[in-house]
Amino acid sequence: MRLPCHGPDGRGGVIAPREAAGTGIRTGGTAPHLGFGLGLRGPHIPYIRAHRPPVDFFEIISENHLDPRSDRRRALDEIAEHYPIVLHGVSLSIGSIDPLDRDYLSRLKRLADAVDTPWVSDHVCWTGVLGVHTHDLLPIPFTEEALAHVVRRARTVQDVLERPLVLENPSSYVEFRASTLTEWDFLGRLAEEADCGLLLDVNNVQVSAVNHGFDPEVYLKALPHHRVTQMHLAGHTDYGTHLVDTHDAEVPGRVWELYRLAVELTGGAATVIERDDGLPPFRALEAELDRARSVAATAGAGTGRRG
Amino acid sequence: MDDVPRSLADIQRWMQAALLAPGRVPYLAEVFTASATQSAEERFRVYHRGYRLRLLRCMRLRYPAMLHLLGRELFERFALDHLDANPSRSPVLDALGDDFPDHLARTRPDTADGGPPEEWIDLLIDLARFERDFTTVLDGPDTGEDGDALLFEARFPVHRYAAAVRHGQEPEPPGAQPVRLSLTRRDGTVVVHDPTDAGHRAHRATAPPSPAA
Repeated sequence: MRLPCHGPDGRGGVIAPREAAGTGIRTGGTAPHLGFGLGLRGPHIPYIRAHRPPVDFFEIISENHLDPRSDRRRALDEIAEHYPIVLHGVSLSIGSIDPLDRDYLSRLKRLADAVDTPWVSDHVCWTGVLGVHTHDLLPIPFTEEALAHVVRRARTVQDVLERPLVLENPSSYVEFRASTLTEWDFLGRLAEEADCGLLLDVNNVQVSAVNHGFDPEVYLKALPHHRVTQMHLAGHTDYGTHLVDTHDAEVPGRVWELYRLAVELTGGAATVIERDDGLPPFRALEAELDRARSVAATAGAGTGRRG
Repeated sequence: MDDVPRSLADIQRWMQAALLAPGRVPYLAEVFTASATQSAEERFRVYHRGYRLRLLRCMRLRYPAMLHLLGRELFERFALDHLDANPSRSPVLDALGDDFPDHLARTRPDTADGGPPEEWIDLLIDLARFERDFTTVLDGPDTGEDGDALLFEARFPVHRYAAAVRHGQEPEPPGAQPVRLSLTRRDGTVVVHDPTDAGHRAHRATAPPSPAA
């Protein structure tokens, strides 16, 4: 599953992120297709250091690596010598009415520069107001007011980071009566008006579709496909009355079906398998990543079918 | 209903207050829709419960010896009391619980109604201080042989209790015995120097599970 740009065997024809990073370009279909990667998790680091497994790139949780003196950061620096790294954050709080946290953004920029990431991703959400961090990805109402607010902040963040911001659809468990837009319309307009990328979390689409009773295929077909820079695949838990995005299980069948459709629609994008709880041996995740490669290949990845 | 939050700012302030509040929340059905299977209240509870479960998990990982000493139910009562009074103000979870020992010291239950301090609360506070300082040293840079050590004084040999818990043992709560320790970090390992221990042994301890690996 992977191939770093200078790594073990070159499956995937990956474009090195260093060719695009730091150029100040926005996404709009110009982001490199990094191939098939995994979320970097602490328990797997000894294995990765010892075996240099064939993964195209690693995605890190930005907040875990902001301290340049930490052991985690030192391990990351070593891994970044061999693999492209993309940053995936959980604390940007792009939808919050609080001012953007300039100190956090400065630290994020330094980390982004240090690992030369081609883009920085986070979620279409807010995490707190009045200076509080709930450490949760809280939903925003899909209104014109919220859209204008997030567009304005996304543009600012891209200017500060000097690289594309890629925003992910989070899973959600409530819907607001105040919403006047569908989630897919909100995301599509956000990406176009902010000139940013989308991180399409296919599992989150399925989770929210079940929780809110919409058709996930309608969602996928409605997105601006050329804006999809990256995709996430993960598992969830069925609580009977609702699904929760738990990242503690294998990617389920319906998510694979939706991933196939997403690849058909977008022509494929950098894909990451996310697993946070119930972490299996690294080889099990490599096997899932091989399945993603196979699905993408048979769905026509790389054919440039972007709408 | 005039007080129902409708703007982005009002919705966020209201929802955060609702998340952090332990009690009943007004306007849930006016702000959120019901789904085919859940009421607005039930849907909101997914966030309300998730917030607490996530942060309590981090606190358990940050304070494993306190968790062992108190048991999960009592530990989580103390931890929730801390989280309710001191919601996180850092974008990184590593900082969660930094103020827990000070919160315990400020709100110790034995003296709340004018009673005398009880020894087991002293032990609890010392243990919390030790686990916090241990993590501070662990997350910092190596200090080397002559580097700046973190000095730690306590009324109980809590370092031995914490080390035993970390090694999977079932230690008894220690009796009072003042200790003066120094904590350094070498090659990613925290070394606890205990001049009061027979033979001046140094306890080495590696990282506890990280809440944000």
